[in-house]
Amino acid sequence: MIRFADTLVARVLLVSLLGITIFHVLSLWTYEHTLDRELAQAQDDQLAERLISIKRSVAAAAEPQREALAHHLSGGPIQAHWSRSRGAAPGGPGAARWTGLISLLVSRSQDLTAKDIIVGTGGDAHVALVSVRLPDDSWLNVNLFAAGKAEVSGHGHLLSTSLMAVGVALISMLMATWLTRPLRRIADAVSKLSIDERSAAIPERGPREVRHLAASFNAMHRRLVDLILRRTRSLAAVSHDLRTPLTRLRLRLADLDNSELQRALASDIDEMEQMIEATLSYLKGQETTEPPRPIDLVSLLETIVDDARDEGRDAELIAPPTLVIHARLMGLKRALSNLIGNALRYGSQVRVRIEPGNGEVIVTIDDDGPGIPERQLETVFEPFVRLEDSRNAETGGVGLGLTIAKSNIEIDGGSLLLRNRPGGGLSAIVRLPCGGVPPSRAKASAS
Amino acid sequence: MTAGSHEIRPAPAPGTTEAHILVVDDDAQIRQLAAKLLRGHGYRVSLARDGREMREALQTAHMDLVILDIMLPGGNGLDLCREIRAGSSIPVIMLTALGSDTDRIVGLEIGADDYLPKPFNPRELLARINAVLRRARGSAANPQSNAIHLVFEGWSLDTRRRELTNPSGAVVDLSTGEYDLLLTFLEYPQRVLTRDQLMDGAKHRTATGFDRAIDIQVSRLRKKLEGDPGAPEMIKTIRGTGYMFVPAVSRA
Repeated sequence: MIRFADTLVARVLLVSLLGITIFHVLSLWTYEHTLDRELAQAQDDQLAERLISIKRSVAAAAEPQREALAHHLSGGPIQAHWSRSRGAAPGGPGAARWTGLISLLVSRSQDLTAKDIIVGTGGDAHVALVSVRLPDDSWLNVNLFAAGKAEVSGHGHLLSTSLMAVGVALISMLMATWLTRPLRRIADAVSKLSIDERSAAIPERGPREVRHLAASFNAMHRRLVDLILRRTRSLAAVSHDLRTPLTRLRLRLADLDNSELQRALASDIDEMEQMIEATLSYLKGQETTEPPRPIDLVSLLETIVDDARDEGRDAELIAPPTLVIHARLMGLKRALSNLIGNALRYGSQVRVRIEPGNGEVIVTIDDDGPGIPERQLETVFEPFVRLEDSRNAETGGVGLGLTIAKSNIEIDGGSLLLRNRPGGGLSAIVRLPCGGVPPSRAKASAS
Repeated sequence: MTAGSHEIRPAPAPGTTEAHILVVDDDAQIRQLAAKLLRGHGYRVSLARDGREMREALQTAHMDLVILDIMLPGGNGLDLCREIRAGSSIPVIMLTALGSDTDRIVGLEIGADDYLPKPFNPRELLARINAVLRRARGSAANPQSNAIHLVFEGWSLDTRRRELTNPSGAVVDLSTGEYDLLLTFLEYPQRVLTRDQLMDGAKHRTATGFDRAIDIQVSRLRKKLEGDPGAPEMIKTIRGTGYMFVPAVSRA
């Protein structure tokens, strides 16, 4: 689902448009309402004036000419007749609309009272019959046609409203963009922030709220860096300090007569060294000084696989004679050693394949071990995570092998994927970029 | 170990020309243990705790080799290495921090002859001492032979970094055994070498003295050198005797 008004700009726009619409509708309604009333008032005024002048003219004329004169003075909404009898009967539908007219007539003409004016509508609400008593008790009967309301052009309203909406939308968009620019700048800066002391602080600029936000981020960043630095240093110190007693152990071991014990102790020391090395390597993280170089991937895997075979393991390499890729030798060797080491630890038979593909090379390491439960295929890459499976307790390691492998492969622009094989066992699939202009060379030639 | 009757016997035979080795390490027990190990293998050993003691030792006696811990407190081991190199061509083996590529690379740049991550395997240390001394002696007889790069057929072996690059400039990874074997071949090119002679060059390997082990190493090395179809044959099998490295080797 697309989130409604996801950006601040969209929200500001929405608020502005909603505001302008409500304001516009309300003011339009008020305006039209007032206009209607004013118009009706003006019309009634006009009617009253004319009725009074007709009445006066007719009253002043001699009786024989009265009807003709009334007729002569008719026109527009007014059709006047003179007669001895009253034409209008009070009441009828819509009669209330004309009460204003009656009071106007009364107020404008001193010789008229409300009793002298009878207003009634026949069947038709738009036609009123007004009878006005003349001083000689004859009647002026007038048919009044209610004037249709002056039609205001609806199209004009719609157009002007739309134009205004577009204008408001544009302006609020520009303003909202301007308002949120410092926020976006902070977001960009924060996303570039890495947890090391060399990472530049976020510039504390912009409106006060944004400056505050930047300052808070910077403070948090400093605390994080401090914490991690302290941890890293103490762990590295411990690991380094272990070198001395381990070296002593190794040297003392050379004096031992019991060769079986010697071998067992040596393998214990080996394991400890591997743990320390893995921990240090993990702590160093992506911080590598090793430059990428062209390396023969096949020779690298041959060395690792041959070592396994020397230890009597069932390992096999299927590869072209040579295949040169651009990578960091030490980092990649460690990554591939870790993966093959894992395969040998959990499986009895390991097969490594190198397949050149389109712009990449795929190294697949298959074993026939128990595999990894599907839901743990991703979590095994996290540092110090080890499989819950009880049989893994005896296999050693600190749970960094896969973390380091993944990280090292990604430094070289590759990817690592673990997949359970259909027939049982695990596949580690390493993709490495290959062919084309190596990135670092392209950079070097450009600079 | 077989007796030193071969003409290309690489290691100094115990008791004959005993090499004098200076061990520079700040840990007293490691100094004592290393001294015991090295003396046990026929070397004369002097010990130094820091830069000052190292300088004194170097002034009072002739040393054939210095084993220098790069992680010395106070004086930086790298500075000491630079100092030794500035004054003489005495071979230096650095003991580097475990897994620290930076130390290793910087150390090699400033002129250490070899490096060993600490904690090291005593057997490995002996092998490295052996190899470095052998090269140093070769260079005394033939000043050119202490070259850093051994070049053949467009390939180049960097003996400081222990790295092989192919004619296209790509690094070809070698196991320790393959490296030692190739180095022996390159030091004695175009000569028939027996399995025993080759074995001496790779003596620190755990592989026992079976001829078969050398054959396996040779076939692996061959695969890496002659992998490309059309690549010339470099290691020739001499039936019943051993092997011969065919290309001419130059030094750079």
